[in-house]
Amino acid sequence: MNEFSVRNRIREFRQQRAEMTQADLARACDVTRQTIIALEAEKYSPSLELAFKLARALERNLEDVFQYQEKK
Amino acid sequence: MIRNQRRVQALLAVAALGAAGMFLGGKGWLGIDFGPVGAAVLYVALWAFVIYLAKYAGEVFPEEWSPAEKQAWVALVFVALIGFHVLNLLAALPDLGPEADRLRNSATRPFWTNLGLLIFGWIGVSSMLRKQDAGVGLDERDLRVAHAASRYADGALMLLVICLVVTLVALPEYSRTWLRPSIAANVLIALLVARALVENICTVLRYRRDRG
Repeated sequence: MNEFSVRNRIREFRQQRAEMTQADLARACDVTRQTIIALEAEKYSPSLELAFKLARALERNLEDVFQYQEKK
Repeated sequence: MIRNQRRVQALLAVAALGAAGMFLGGKGWLGIDFGPVGAAVLYVALWAFVIYLAKYAGEVFPEEWSPAEKQAWVALVFVALIGFHVLNLLAALPDLGPEADRLRNSATRPFWTNLGLLIFGWIGVSSMLRKQDAGVGLDERDLRVAHAASRYADGALMLLVICLVVTLVALPEYSRTWLRPSIAANVLIALLVARALVENICTVLRYRRDRG
C-alpha cells in the first residue's frame, strides 16, 4: 500500500511575504514559534483549523499551502 | 548561553549527588552518615538552581524549546525529587514499627518540610517561566504531546498497579509484618508520583523526537 504524507510550503510563502518572521506568523495563528518551526520542518501536521489559519495568514489557498503527497 | 546551560547542568548533578548521599545516609555507608550532608548539598544546589533560573531564565533553556517543553523539564526535575523523597520515606517507615502509623513521626516530619520546599520552588520556577514566555502558553501541538504522554503514563500506572497487586498476593505471610496501613498508603502515593514521572519523561522525549 502506498504511504502518503502532508507536505507544506509555509516557509516558501512566508519568505515571499517581506518581513514576515516565524514569530509574526505564530502570533497571527495563536501558536508558539516552535510550532511554526516544527511545521516548516514538516515534523508536525496541523489540525484543519490551524491549516486554515496558516493559509489565511499567508494569504493563500489551503491547497497551495498544503499538499497530500505520496511519500518518496 | 551555553555557559549558563552548563552551570545549570552542573547544579543539577550536584543536587543528584546530594540526593544520593541523603538516600544512603539514613542507614550509614562505610560507617559514615551522609544523610544531613546529602540533604544540605541537595537543597543548597536546588535553591541555587531556582535563583539561577530567576536571574538567567532566558538563557538557561535553548531557544528552540517551546514554553510547554520548558515547563515539562522543570516538572520532570521536581517530580523526580518528590519521588526520591517518597522513596526515602518508604525506606524509613518499616523501621519505625507502630510509630509509622502516626501522621506525624520522625520520618514524616522532615518529609513534609521538604515536600513543602519543593512545591514552593516548583511554583516559583514555573511562574518565572510563564512570565518570561508571556503570550501563547499552550497550543494544539503541546496539547497533542500532552495527550500522548498522558496515555503512556496511564498505561504505566496500570502496569505498576498490576505488579503491586501480584507482589502483595505473592508475599509470604512472615514478610507482611512490616506492611502497615501508612506504608500501603505511601506505596499508593509513590505509584501516583511514578505516573507523573513517566508522563513528564514521555513529554520531554516526544518534544525531543519531534525536533530531531
